[in-house]
Amino acid sequence: MPDALILLSSIALPFLGAIVAGLLPTHARNAAAWLAGAIALSMLAFVWAAYPTVADGGVVRHAIPWMPALGLDFSLRMDGFAWLFAGLVSGVGALVVLYARYYMSAEDPVPRFFAFLLAFMGAMTGVVLSGNLVQLAFFWELTSLFSFLLIGYWHHTAAAREGARMALTVTATGGLCLFAGVLVLGHIVGSYDLDVVLASGERIRSHALYLPALILILLGALTKSAQFPFHFWLPQAMAAPTPVSAYLHSATLVKAGVFLMARLWPVMAGTEAWFWIVGTAGVATLLLGAYVAIFQLDLKGLLAYSTISHLGLITLLLGLNSELAMVAAIFHILNHATFKASLFMAVGIIDHETGTRDIRRLSGLNRSMPFTARLALVAAAAMAGVPLLNGFLSKEMFFAEALSAQTSQLFLLQILPLAATAASAFSVAYSLRFIHGAFFGPDPTDLPRTPHEPPAWMRFPVEILVLACIIVGILPAATVGPFLDMAAHAALGAATPDYSLAVWHGFSLPLLMSFIALTAGVALYIGLQKQLRSAPDGPPMLRSFDGRRMFERAMVFLSWRLARTLERLLGTRRLQPQLRLLVCVAILAGAIAVQVRGLGPGNVMPSGIDPVLALVWVGGAACAFGAAWLAKFHRLAALILLGGTGLVTCVTFVWFSAPDLALTQLLVEVVTTILLLLGLRWLPKRIDNPATRQAEVVTLTRRLRDLTIAISAGAGMAGLAYGVMTRSPPELLAQHFLARAYTEGGGTNVVNVILVDFRGFDTLGEITVLAAVALVAYALLRRFRPAPDSVEIPEQQRDQSAYDEARPDRSEGDTVADWLLVPSVLTRLLFPVIILVAAYLLLRGHDQPGGGFVAGLTASIAIILQYMIGGTHWVEDRLRVPPLRWMGVGLLLAAGTGLAAWFFGRPFMTSYFSYLGLPLLGEVPTASALVFDIGVFALVVGATVLILIALAHQSVRGQRAVPRSSEGRAAATRVAGDD
Amino acid sequence: MNPAADIPLWVAVPTALLLLLGAGLALVGSLGLLRLGSFYERIHAPTLGTTLGIASVLAASMLYFSALQTRPVLHEILIGIFMVVTTPVTLMLLARAALYRDRTEGSRDVPLPSPPPQRPGTDASAPDSVIVQSGAEKGRQGL
Repeated sequence: MPDALILLSSIALPFLGAIVAGLLPTHARNAAAWLAGAIALSMLAFVWAAYPTVADGGVVRHAIPWMPALGLDFSLRMDGFAWLFAGLVSGVGALVVLYARYYMSAEDPVPRFFAFLLAFMGAMTGVVLSGNLVQLAFFWELTSLFSFLLIGYWHHTAAAREGARMALTVTATGGLCLFAGVLVLGHIVGSYDLDVVLASGERIRSHALYLPALILILLGALTKSAQFPFHFWLPQAMAAPTPVSAYLHSATLVKAGVFLMARLWPVMAGTEAWFWIVGTAGVATLLLGAYVAIFQLDLKGLLAYSTISHLGLITLLLGLNSELAMVAAIFHILNHATFKASLFMAVGIIDHETGTRDIRRLSGLNRSMPFTARLALVAAAAMAGVPLLNGFLSKEMFFAEALSAQTSQLFLLQILPLAATAASAFSVAYSLRFIHGAFFGPDPTDLPRTPHEPPAWMRFPVEILVLACIIVGILPAATVGPFLDMAAHAALGAATPDYSLAVWHGFSLPLLMSFIALTAGVALYIGLQKQLRSAPDGPPMLRSFDGRRMFERAMVFLSWRLARTLERLLGTRRLQPQLRLLVCVAILAGAIAVQVRGLGPGNVMPSGIDPVLALVWVGGAACAFGAAWLAKFHRLAALILLGGTGLVTCVTFVWFSAPDLALTQLLVEVVTTILLLLGLRWLPKRIDNPATRQAEVVTLTRRLRDLTIAISAGAGMAGLAYGVMTRSPPELLAQHFLARAYTEGGGTNVVNVILVDFRGFDTLGEITVLAAVALVAYALLRRFRPAPDSVEIPEQQRDQSAYDEARPDRSEGDTVADWLLVPSVLTRLLFPVIILVAAYLLLRGHDQPGGGFVAGLTASIAIILQYMIGGTHWVEDRLRVPPLRWMGVGLLLAAGTGLAAWFFGRPFMTSYFSYLGLPLLGEVPTASALVFDIGVFALVVGATVLILIALAHQSVRGQRAVPRSSEGRAAATRVAGDD
Repeated sequence: MNPAADIPLWVAVPTALLLLLGAGLALVGSLGLLRLGSFYERIHAPTLGTTLGIASVLAASMLYFSALQTRPVLHEILIGIFMVVTTPVTLMLLARAALYRDRTEGSRDVPLPSPPPQRPGTDASAPDSVIVQSGAEKGRQGL
């Protein structure tokens, strides 16, 4: 079978399956299970197909170039080590799918569960098969994400939500660290390719950046593998459905961390730093996890802490810097996956059939579910390290390694065997508690359900796994031997040591330690009986030492206290301080730039001042001053004067031969003035309360300060503009655009060609921003409630309605409708004309002043006029403008035009133009940029109209909200109305 | 240099005269805006410029560019049409607003709307005093 097929199918199948499962109906439990099972089994088959190659020490590879210049390829690589993990992922995955089919209740949306599970399977396979470190980090984060979704599957329970969030926070943060570490590693090696990295161990270890890279990568690995002090998320993740715990939290997800450490072991291990960080974390986790596990009341909690402890054991083995320990670690990864997955499944069966996992309520299940009890007994014995089971073998190897560890710190040599024996004794104790607590003792009394054996197929995965424990335990060399050998050789290369996989090594120190641990564990359990029966959840002495609580405290601090403090210090709800801050920062930035670079005189001599233009400018400046002066007390007048300033700007553009700018300026001016006028109605009326007025001096100082800020900002801007404009423009761009606008862009209007072709990507970004702005304005206005004094219907309309009411021959609303009858008829006549102008501007845009933006503004002005003159109801009865659809179509058109270039083998946003023969019109120049421009047009229309509609509906809603007051209605009766 | 130097005299003279006429009318209109007494008088003044004034300027433009480009240039007619359509809208809006304000302020210079028909049970003597009072109140609030 070709390599590419094997690798690509192993990755792609689960993701495709996830999509299909996600599309199944909510309660298609069997279909989803069949699908997931088939996919897991076919993955297993694909992985098996690669066995002949990897068994010979070969590597199955496939790479798809993506960004070769940056060293980023989608590269898949399967050697013996990755093969082992891929087999684990797909094999245990298949068993878990079978188990989950019976575990999940028919009421749950099971297809969603399988969709998540399959996606996780794909992500995990991606992690183990990645041949590129960046890609590995990517899949790593994907596993965090899907484990979040799986833990939070029962999102209606608070525990699931909390657990999922905590797991995601911890592991995804670790993933980010890992990503940073990978980048550093890539920097050291000069490549992200795993083969290259694995070949440059010396270079990495001797590099100055070795320690940062190591710490960052280990942060990723240790968080993922729930190592102390990041272990606290794993017990919280037990809120997940049990199949998830069996799969993610025993066999796969948490193994990703140790997988990564083992993967990079040949190049990163072997130093003191590695020994201290990894070894310490491993020992601490091993002891702590095992100790805490004894005192858990929840069976799953017990298993979770036991998992933490076993992961600590593996980490410690990896940290010992010895090749034999590495082999032992790989072996224990396998063994732990088998016995722990089966134990989780057994707990799931107990939970499923009795309704509780509380160790105090369970007892004597041996009688009601004898078969399950036997299976759990064997698996637990393997966990405790009882001889003739697989756990015993790897534990034996661990003891041997603990005894022969090489380090400069001698005292460690005495501590390590002790710690290993103690942890082993603890594990015997909690295994005993698990079995004894659940299956032995008197018959249970207060169980929610009557316990009985589960369906045979639900037990089947447990049987398979337990069988594996026994066979491997009895005949290790014949069964697991070749695979382990292959994996060890792939991970270690030529440095693989000789080791022997045998049950009996003769009387030796490790055997003695095993014996001591077994005896001590049993003794400990018996000794603790009394305390265990009465004790609350959690271990003595360490109860107050709670990682979860610390995490929560940290989260509260970060996301609540710190955020609030920062908001209080830096944020404000008032507009004036915000503006002041913004302007001051701008001034500062400008001042620093001038300070650093200097602002010398330009090299172009200013031409003489034209008296006419000067006069126009005097008018404009007067308008500006007037607007500023009146802004506080007469908003309408200020707005009108502002319009005057805008017109002067527009005239200036015309004067200096910039028709495109002038056109745009004019239309923008019109639209903004109208929108501001519409907004004015909702501003609160002026509040003049002398009691709250500040002292004269304070006011004066404040005004002086603001004036200074305003003048320095304005003067700075003017100086900057002057400085730029008195320099001859750089040769580069303008000439380039002018020369190529027609030959390459197909248009004679250079401005438009720049917008839709040369800088089309910018424009795409800008219209996207415009769409976002319109949506935000809409969202803000949807929740906006005007000030109480501007909620009412305008005074004039009230008077007019009152006038109608007083006359029997008129119905309400007549006067409002009549009031502007002639103007509205005239304005309606203009609607098609303005639309025609918009179309004209749009179509000629490529060669003459115009274009999509201007045309869009023109069209929206036509619509705004109708709204203003006819009223919201009138317009919307006759003209439906779905602005969101316009915006969506606009974005799609613009982006689609850019994408279309790909189909012709050109880069994104390449435009195409030719001459099109049309009937009647003859040869017409056509450019694909026109389609882009139409997209811009549609988006501008949609965005402007969306904001307009938000404002217009404001007045419709505002009136509905407030009951009309009857007072003053009669008074105005005679003053309003038609004449 | 200046293209205007190339056009024949028989075009140049009427163009100049039309331009002067238009500008003069606009000037008179502006003066009227400055000088006339009440709003209702003032509102008529700018129409000098927007009717005959703009027509003269547009005619001058048509003449000039037709001669310059030696083809009939007629799109100024469109400008004229739009001026005719839009100017009344503006002025009507202004006049309506002024009328409403004057009525609410109880000004005696503007005609009142037709009085409502008498309904049984309503007091017919109240309206006048009410108007004055509410006008004063609204005068304080401002618009």
